[in-house]
Amino acid sequence: MHEGGTSHIIKRHDHGHHRSEQFDPDKMHKSIVAACLSCAVPHGHADSIAKRITEEVEEWLQNRPEVTSDDLRRTATHYLKTHHPDAAYLYEHHRSTL
Amino acid sequence: MDIPSSLAIVALAALIHASFQLSVSVLTLLSGHAIGARRSQAKVFRLAWGFILGVGVMTLLLLSFISLVLLHVFGNSGVPLIVWAIACGLVLGIGIAVWLFYYRKEKGTKLWIPRSFADHLSRRSKATKHSVEAFSLGMTSVIAELIFIIPSMIISALVLLQLPSMWQLIGIAVYVVISLVGLLVVSTLVGGGHSLSKIQKWREENKGFLQFAAGSALVVLGFFVYVHKIIAEVSGAI
Repeated sequence: MHEGGTSHIIKRHDHGHHRSEQFDPDKMHKSIVAACLSCAVPHGHADSIAKRITEEVEEWLQNRPEVTSDDLRRTATHYLKTHHPDAAYLYEHHRSTL
Repeated sequence: MDIPSSLAIVALAALIHASFQLSVSVLTLLSGHAIGARRSQAKVFRLAWGFILGVGVMTLLLLSFISLVLLHVFGNSGVPLIVWAIACGLVLGIGIAVWLFYYRKEKGTKLWIPRSFADHLSRRSKATKHSVEAFSLGMTSVIAELIFIIPSMIISALVLLQLPSMWQLIGIAVYVVISLVGLLVVSTLVGGGHSLSKIQKWREENKGFLQFAAGSALVVLGFFVYVHKIIAEVSGAI
């Protein structure tokens, strides 16, 4: 996290409107666990992968006071690829399924 | 048209319906959310079957409704050739549109449907926790892809109207069962423990082929019915 506070995630909304919210490690952890479980990874292993990725992303967020949700997804995908490429694929393309 | 030819046309129309991917995408999302939320395999199975049942019931209702409307409008005197010609034109037109527009030209398997529909289905697939909700989601997803499946249904309804009552029911059953083939394959794969990422990767890698096959099959169907019904009857009259 950057010095003096938590990072803000800029979320893009419909009609070009933007809003920001604080980075939530639990939310990221849950979404990575979900991607891993969808790839038939055992629960315990999914949890440990998600914990490591969340820590790596938190480290990346240091000195970055504001990032977009797309930046965050790309970065998490980048780290997740080294641990589980299939889960990384699902995590990255989750929003482009439909 | 004899009974085997009619049923073959209905089966081809249903296969084209099955090749459209919106319901498959929603089922993939629904299964992914359910597995990600650590629901039991039995629960995932029930949700998938609730969804498939919803798709099947809505398909059955729509096909029956279109047949009923055509029956009321044209009665037992037979459907005029101009209506057949319009239906064939619609099938050919949608077939060409599918070639050009079915998938969006970006990564993933995003479809050319209104984004508000896609967002709604995405949100609902995440929020679905009970089989009844999955059932209604299945029904909604059929409505969302109506623009692509309506030509297959109209041609099937026109063909079914020419059959004896018993064969009409069999034809409707054949259409509904075949139209669910894609969903049944995906739910079997998910139930068998296959990774969703592998299923989604396959769909993305082959989306060009699926698009081409669906569009081509629609063009073939429209052309075949045009020749088999209109050209044959006109040339017979001459």
